[in-house]
Amino acid sequence: MVDDDPAVCRALTRLIRSAGYCVEAFGSAHEFLECCPDIQGCACLVLDVGLPDINGLDLQNELNSTKRPLPIIFITGDGDIAMTVRAMKAGATDFLAKPVNDSDLLPAIANALRVSSQALSSRIELDGIHGRMARLTPREREVLALLVEGRPNKQSACELGIAEKTIKVHRARVMEKMEAHSLVDLVS
Amino acid sequence: MTRVSTLGELAGSLAHELNQPLTAILSNAQAAQRFLATEPVNLAEVREILHDLVDDTHRASEVIRKIRALVKKGDIEAAPLSVASVIRDVTLLVHSDAIVRGIRMRVTVAPELPPVHGDKVQLQQVVLNLLLNAFDALESCPALDREVAIAVTLEAGDIRVAVRDSGTGLPGNKFDKLFLPFFTSKRDGLGLGLSISRSIVEMHGGSIWAQNNEDRGATFYFTLPTQSSAWRGTRRRQPWARRHRLSSWWTTTPRYAGR
Repeated sequence: MVDDDPAVCRALTRLIRSAGYCVEAFGSAHEFLECCPDIQGCACLVLDVGLPDINGLDLQNELNSTKRPLPIIFITGDGDIAMTVRAMKAGATDFLAKPVNDSDLLPAIANALRVSSQALSSRIELDGIHGRMARLTPREREVLALLVEGRPNKQSACELGIAEKTIKVHRARVMEKMEAHSLVDLVS
Repeated sequence: MTRVSTLGELAGSLAHELNQPLTAILSNAQAAQRFLATEPVNLAEVREILHDLVDDTHRASEVIRKIRALVKKGDIEAAPLSVASVIRDVTLLVHSDAIVRGIRMRVTVAPELPPVHGDKVQLQQVVLNLLLNAFDALESCPALDREVAIAVTLEAGDIRVAVRDSGTGLPGNKFDKLFLPFFTSKRDGLGLGLSISRSIVEMHGGSIWAQNNEDRGATFYFTLPTQSSAWRGTRRRQPWARRHRLSSWWTTTPRYAGR
């Protein structure tokens, strides 16, 4: 939760906590950015647009350029259509007007956390694939690329200038290292 | 004039200042409802919330107090001044705005008008408010019909300013309501401009009213007593006897960024 008004920040933090979420409050964009890389797991950001140091929309851009962008729910006292459109286009999950009702804010948070958890699980999967890829030798990686394209062994062997038998050996190693049981498994 | 925010900006910044404590009040109250609905009730949390609710409410009423102080009697700087120069200053200020909106402004000032006794900045605010309202009223008019006429005349010893627009006119026939606080016909208006204008005019011993024109559009009038009319009888009391400090809040209200 980032809002420069201490009273608003405290009240909203309380409301979010009353719904059973863990919530941390920050008084400025800089304060938030200092701790931002430490945020692990499923999380979202409730962000005031009119911050004194960095405008909320600019903070959104900055976060979007990082490896793990957080889903953002914007809250503002004087939003206009242009501002809303800009925020939503940049991937905000919600844009709410102050004073914000719990019946709007809490479902918005639940939704943002769902988005975050989906991103998290696909990232874990991707990290696993990258980890397995790292085990391959350069030659095995070349074989993998051709396998995924659907080339027959013979053609791959010809392209890489090696024997078809050698390709078969590489192929078996690739399958083993990538923890794939079949070609379909590997491609997906 | 640049050091003074217009009533519109002022209203915008007041809206923001009120919205913040209201946001805190709503969220605090709803958090308390949730905490009270769970067993065992976290009384320490609820106590803290109540404490904050009191603070937030004080903060909101402080904003209201500022609005009142803005036009409080006595808190102004009164000096002899020419209404014509007030009008001239304001028309210069809105000149480019009028051009952008395709509005012609016509100013007629009767010759040799006596001075009034008042606060220049506050009277400028009144004229500015009436002019910008007139501009807004012309929004939906064909470009050729967009005209605002300002006439300053002497009527029964009082200076009378008329701001006449060629717009769609005022709806209904209860024009008194226009001057009540928070009454607005604008989509994003706060409804404070005319009520503050009325306070200022009445504080100067004058009156303000509105009429629909016979052909089209509306005219807003206000009068100000001249020195001779103020002397003339007991019906008007000079509301200030000495020079007062200008309300510092009026001149230092920050423009709310991002509006």
